[in-house]
Amino acid sequence: MAKLLMFHGQECPHCHRMMPQVEKLETETGIRIEKREVWHDEANQDLMRGYKDILKPKCGGQLRVPAFLNPETQDALCGEVEYEKLKDWALKQ
Amino acid sequence: MKPLGRGDIIDLHGSSFPSIIVGMKKRYWRCFVCNDVHYGIAPPELCPTCKVLSAYVEISAAEARQILGCGAATAMTPDGFRAAIESFAAANEFRVNPDGGRVDLLLKGIFENERKYGLKFCPCRVRTKDWDEDLRIICPCNFTIHETYKGIKDGECWCGLFVRRT
Repeated sequence: MAKLLMFHGQECPHCHRMMPQVEKLETETGIRIEKREVWHDEANQDLMRGYKDILKPKCGGQLRVPAFLNPETQDALCGEVEYEKLKDWALKQ
Repeated sequence: MKPLGRGDIIDLHGSSFPSIIVGMKKRYWRCFVCNDVHYGIAPPELCPTCKVLSAYVEISAAEARQILGCGAATAMTPDGFRAAIESFAAANEFRVNPDGGRVDLLLKGIFENERKYGLKFCPCRVRTKDWDEDLRIICPCNFTIHETYKGIKDGECWCGLFVRRT
């Protein structure tokens, strides 16, 4: 299984709402998503900026959170989404 | 030029941005009567403070910073900012999210960003470190052009601080 990343912000309400969905996904499927908080961690910000060419087209042209990324396939999913959409995305990685 | 609505102004890369200002750099202007400072591609015809016509003269960025930095010391608390955005929203088709807990969380993030980076950046987007690009994520941003708001009945800005009035 490829390494999946989730960029999130501590003060982002969308990210707060996605966290239980991510945990449910991990429990249900065994998929692990590495969480990277971007507002209080400069290194994680830099990491996210490093993927800007992949993330921006999926995130309204900006570096929005929450954002999910498979660095290997360069596939990304952006925003607060339904559980099934997140699961579909994760399973096809 | 016909005045534009907020939603008509796309962004500097959008096709419907008025062609007259594409590629033009903003500059600083000072009212020679009351020292109001304007940042834009052209000076206002009428000074909004002292109401004098043709009162603006171009100044340097350093001079503008001096004028703005030496004025009366002001500080904005989260409550003050909340009042400012309530007032801003009152004249628009949107309002501040009635979910107080959500607003509290967002204001915490916005003020944390201001403390760290000097500007009230959106807590749901990351700076690219490109100055012009990052100016577009200062709260309130021009969310009326975003896909999360434009043309959506219950649209909201990306972080949900502002929601369409229904």
